[in-house]
Amino acid sequence: MKKHFVGEKAEKTVYAILAIATFFLAWAFITTFTAAGETTPGPVEVLKLLVDSFFEPIGRFTLYGHLYYSIRRVLVGYVVAAVLGIIVGIAMGTSRYAEAIIKPIFELIRPIPPIAWIPLVILWFGVGELPKYAIIFIGSFTNVTLNAYTGAQRVDPTLIGCAKMLGTSDRDIFLRVVLPSSLPQIFAGMQVALSTAWMAVLAAEMIGAQEGCGWIILRGSDTTNIPLVLVGMVVIGVVGLLLATIMRMAERRLCSWNRMDV
Amino acid sequence: MSEDKIKVQVTNLTKKFGDLLVLDDISFNVKQGEFLCIVGPTGCGKTTFLNSLTKLYDLTAGEILINGEPVNLKKHNIAYILQEYSTFPWLKVEENIKYGLRIKKIPEDEVQKRADEVIAMVGLEEFRNYYPDQLSASMLQRVVIARAFAVQPELLLMDEPYGQLDISLRFRLEDELLKLWEKTETTVIFITHNIEEAVYLSERILVLTNKPTKIKKELLNPLPRPRDVTSKEFVEIRNYVTDLIKWW
Repeated sequence: MKKHFVGEKAEKTVYAILAIATFFLAWAFITTFTAAGETTPGPVEVLKLLVDSFFEPIGRFTLYGHLYYSIRRVLVGYVVAAVLGIIVGIAMGTSRYAEAIIKPIFELIRPIPPIAWIPLVILWFGVGELPKYAIIFIGSFTNVTLNAYTGAQRVDPTLIGCAKMLGTSDRDIFLRVVLPSSLPQIFAGMQVALSTAWMAVLAAEMIGAQEGCGWIILRGSDTTNIPLVLVGMVVIGVVGLLLATIMRMAERRLCSWNRMDV
Repeated sequence: MSEDKIKVQVTNLTKKFGDLLVLDDISFNVKQGEFLCIVGPTGCGKTTFLNSLTKLYDLTAGEILINGEPVNLKKHNIAYILQEYSTFPWLKVEENIKYGLRIKKIPEDEVQKRADEVIAMVGLEEFRNYYPDQLSASMLQRVVIARAFAVQPELLLMDEPYGQLDISLRFRLEDELLKLWEKTETTVIFITHNIEEAVYLSERILVLTNKPTKIKKELLNPLPRPRDVTSKEFVEIRNYVTDLIKWW
């Protein structure tokens, strides 16, 4: 079983590498042999600029500095959204009063894209770091909340009844039954939220930023420097992939019972 | 096995859901250490009775006393085994079995001792580090039984615990249950719609009517153990109970 699993994992990795290699080859082919090459740089040019930007500053910082600012913004906004989202979601899933009060407001706010909040956020928090955190918070809060809500709602009532029969107090039922039972769903929400938080970084860095991966794209766009735009896009993609991988590893560790490959 | 001390006293138990009368003025006692089976047709309110006993439902009228006192889940050590698999999927077998002991704040060395004992009794030594998802149906039910016996309950309630198992597994688990009961002298109330199972396990059988549920008949089961399901006496009692149910 384990051997089979290892083989399956290796197979998946090979397919992933092949898919990415095909993507870059297709990109190189299109930009070399079609008219698209007149407006869009090829992967080699972008990769060269990407490597250079680790050593030569873009604006005030090298790529390391931009990465630091963006990751910090994403993590602050995301962690606050995750903590609050889990609390609000579980409250909605376990209390019909909380559900009746919070859900209608939540459903109303949920479809509004993070970028639409920019004018209000500037009005409320100015143009410092706080509005950037706020935009990322808005981008990730709904996914965590919705999944925590669904997870808490789907807790098997048999398990709650059984825990009660064994003398579990209401507080312990929350900690020992509701929370662990909802954990896979919460993780699924946190996984999606991490992606949306990282996507919201561009919107966040539209607010008076002088640094960050989103800012690199905006700077490239303002100066018609398409290779720079693509460097920003590639960096956001790669960092997003790394963060998602870390999150999946954490999920595997904390929810190992929820997988057949334990 | 049974002593004369009354463990559970049910007086005029009545339960309504809206206008629907489910349990209609039921009274009976259960003796300390007794193995009581309750049989009745599906939907007659057997589970409602157990849920009332465990305070998952409020009573409409009547009273249930354990050791002469109103039921208090914090005070009375009651374990409840359901037909559905009620293992906690995020806990390994051993942790599932220790759950009730830890909730009751039993010292950790005693927790380990009792867990080892019941794990050995139900033959799950090799599977103590498995998650429930990795176990078969019979193993899951054995985990639940072990968890219930680990807390050394003064009263064990079982609601058709083997209803989803095939016949050979059922026989095996029934024998395991009897061994545990004889060893621990726990009072057991076992609900089933399987008459053969009731005759095989019980010291006394309560036969319930259809809704609104009353006690149709109460009969002592004098068969010696181990019981032979093919013996003339066994078949006679089984047929007698079956006839009681057929009359509805």
